[in-house]
Amino acid sequence: MKRVWGYIAIAILFFVLIWVWTLQVDNSLNYPEFISGGALFFVIFILCMFNVRKRLPFLPLWPAHKWFLLHSVAGFLALFLFWLHADVLWPKGLYVQILTILFYGTTLSGILGLIMEKIYPNLLTRVGLECIYERIPRDLAEIRNKAESLVLECTEKTGSDTLAQHYIETLGWFFQRPRFFINNIFGGQNAQTWVMQQCSVLERFLNEAERGYLDQVYVLAETKRKIDFHYSIQTMLKKWLLVHVPLAAAVMTMVIWHLIVIQVFFN
Amino acid sequence: MTITTQSRPQRWDQPFGSEMTDADVERLLGVPEIQAIEADKFPSRISLAGILRNDARIMSYKAGDIVIREGDYGNSAFLVLNGSLRVVLAPGLPGEMLGRRKIQKKNFWQALKQLWTQKTSPEFRDIQRYDHKSGLRESAVPGSSHVFLQDVPAVLDSNKTAVLEGGALFGELAALGRTPRTSTIFAETDSELLEIRWQGLRELRKYDQGWRRLIDQRYRQNALKAHLGATSIFSHLDDDDLQEVADNTLFETYGTFDWHLSYKKLQEQDRIDGVKDEPEIAQQGAYPDGILMVRAGFARVSVERGNGRQTITYLGAGEFYGADEIYRAWKGELEVGLKVTISALGYVEVLRVPSKTIEKHLFAYWESDRQGGTRDGKIEPGKRSGRIHDFFDQTLAEGALQEWAVQERFVNGTQAMLINLDKCVRCDDCVRACASTHDGNPRFVRHGKTFQNWMVANACMHCADPVCMIGCPTGAIHRSLSGGMVIINDDTCIGCETCANSCPYSNIRMVSINDENGQHILDPQNHKPIVKATKCDLCADQITGPACAFACPHDALKRVDFRDVTWTGDVGGQ
Repeated sequence: MKRVWGYIAIAILFFVLIWVWTLQVDNSLNYPEFISGGALFFVIFILCMFNVRKRLPFLPLWPAHKWFLLHSVAGFLALFLFWLHADVLWPKGLYVQILTILFYGTTLSGILGLIMEKIYPNLLTRVGLECIYERIPRDLAEIRNKAESLVLECTEKTGSDTLAQHYIETLGWFFQRPRFFINNIFGGQNAQTWVMQQCSVLERFLNEAERGYLDQVYVLAETKRKIDFHYSIQTMLKKWLLVHVPLAAAVMTMVIWHLIVIQVFFN
Repeated sequence: MTITTQSRPQRWDQPFGSEMTDADVERLLGVPEIQAIEADKFPSRISLAGILRNDARIMSYKAGDIVIREGDYGNSAFLVLNGSLRVVLAPGLPGEMLGRRKIQKKNFWQALKQLWTQKTSPEFRDIQRYDHKSGLRESAVPGSSHVFLQDVPAVLDSNKTAVLEGGALFGELAALGRTPRTSTIFAETDSELLEIRWQGLRELRKYDQGWRRLIDQRYRQNALKAHLGATSIFSHLDDDDLQEVADNTLFETYGTFDWHLSYKKLQEQDRIDGVKDEPEIAQQGAYPDGILMVRAGFARVSVERGNGRQTITYLGAGEFYGADEIYRAWKGELEVGLKVTISALGYVEVLRVPSKTIEKHLFAYWESDRQGGTRDGKIEPGKRSGRIHDFFDQTLAEGALQEWAVQERFVNGTQAMLINLDKCVRCDDCVRACASTHDGNPRFVRHGKTFQNWMVANACMHCADPVCMIGCPTGAIHRSLSGGMVIINDDTCIGCETCANSCPYSNIRMVSINDENGQHILDPQNHKPIVKATKCDLCADQITGPACAFACPHDALKRVDFRDVTWTGDVGGQ
């Protein structure tokens, strides 16, 4: 935590320095946008370097967790520098407006990602089960096969198809693929409630032997619910970058073009 | 109903050498060193002939073959039957000559070069290099290939050596004590040796006075004195005093040498034995009769709590317990009993230094002016109890994770991969970093046993007691002398899977090696893929250190020695 405050302090100091400098330049009737724009470009460049660093794990380019802190703090710094540079929240002109949309989009997705990365790991730990994202489809298929085998066995051994009918009508939907995605990403309990309700609604129609099978199906459903939760949360943790990184790349491209255009027209 | 039956498994169901015949045993019984053994002292169920038949095997070595290598872990001793061998005296042979991997850290440019030199197909191997470097003598018996010295006369010219001839016994101390071999021995001429595995050696020591005297005497002469001198409590003693302490010290072993096999089996059944099933070394409340020093392995330290036992910590090699109690008794305190129970975690070798010796050589020193102590006996309790002192006051919650780590034997790890799941965003940057630094294939799985928010991932822990190293026929898996990490020399690995099968934590993986096109490299004889053992090498050749920890953006992954971990706060480590 101490380290974060160190980074924040440096960022504030940097911003104040740039701000004072732009004021001085403005007072001397020069172009303060060159100062704030240069500083903003420098910060955006540092932000983009984090992705480059990730692809070069074998080079001694500072540990990744320090880069991450720098990246998070520099992201906020970039936002303030952007406002200093543009002087308004919503600038005029189509090109700059597209650039602004992309920049805000990158910043917003970054902030959302940061919030998710702070909240979600804790939620995943509390589930009490760990799974590797790439293995989730295989795990779910395994659970589904087990559940279906149990239901078939129940029909064969007890001669009653009550559980099988309920599985086809209701439970099968749940076991088919990951469910309750939206509810899960908000940390909701809908899946748990649903599983409990669908099992308890059936219970009174079963005899003792069938109830034993239902209990086993319930255990599988509970495991599946936990894996679903992992699937939803881990999908969010992985996929937000598919928004953030392309937006950031687009910002960087437009910024470079913006610099070229400014350079050409200024000269 | 059909009842399935099976004859009860017996100790010698799996003999050490399957080729031993009655004629071989007869011949061995005629060897002078074995003839001298009083065979009638052995119980009928563990006869001398049975030991020779089942716990020993005759091994042939060609001139130049390395029999044992300095630094290897082994579980057998050797008796020279015929031929001549040479022991290489200090400073020993260079690592490359022994089939070791030479570790050289990459510089910045070499590290950068990996960006474009890395092959797209994982586990690519240039097989040319195996032909030039390995120095392997293939054997018809699977897993019995030897590393050999290519120029024996040059080795003899440039190194000090001693001769071992018929009747010489060697390797017994390392085998019984589970310590690394202290020197390299190679065959000077074609030789025949009797290799005795540790179980047989233990019986020979137990039932034959001559072998016991020989082994114990060698231990006291060669190893014990040096070991005591290296401990913190006896380092102040001069040679004569050390000898006196060594002469009075008793050595004891507890638990099973092959603990990893039973541990693996229990783990598969998901029922690791608790403290109640472990052999007790010292019982809480018992009168202290001497300091207990762990020489090898690990011992659990537990105290009674309610209806159970709480594990407060563990003792590893070099650590001791009992000084505080003996000290208090020496100072006249009545009814002093041990504050903890100590039990064996797997296999543990203990030295028991009697109270009288401690009073004379340790307490007198502690209270002397040299130590700055006072003559009224105010020695700090922490000094008397060793590391255990810090754990007496911990709450159940504070000690829960430590207890779990002891239970799962993770305390064996010196570089365990510990992940804080409350910080980990499951981004797999660690896995990708590992793959980019290791032939495109990660050397660990980001998955493993969890406790609360901690996970010990399936990555080599570079154990203090590396059972994976026992039995490697070529010494390909070895402990690096420079960094202490356990590494595999890919050039000399023959893919026998001994290490992978031995690792109690399943952290060694066998992989098929590929050519440039990503096709498996096949054995021309049976057309099966050539496999190699792979595991985490702590990025020994990378300038960044372990790439996994370096690449973690959330500081969630650390490589830790469980000894240094404090569970109340954040963990230390790399």
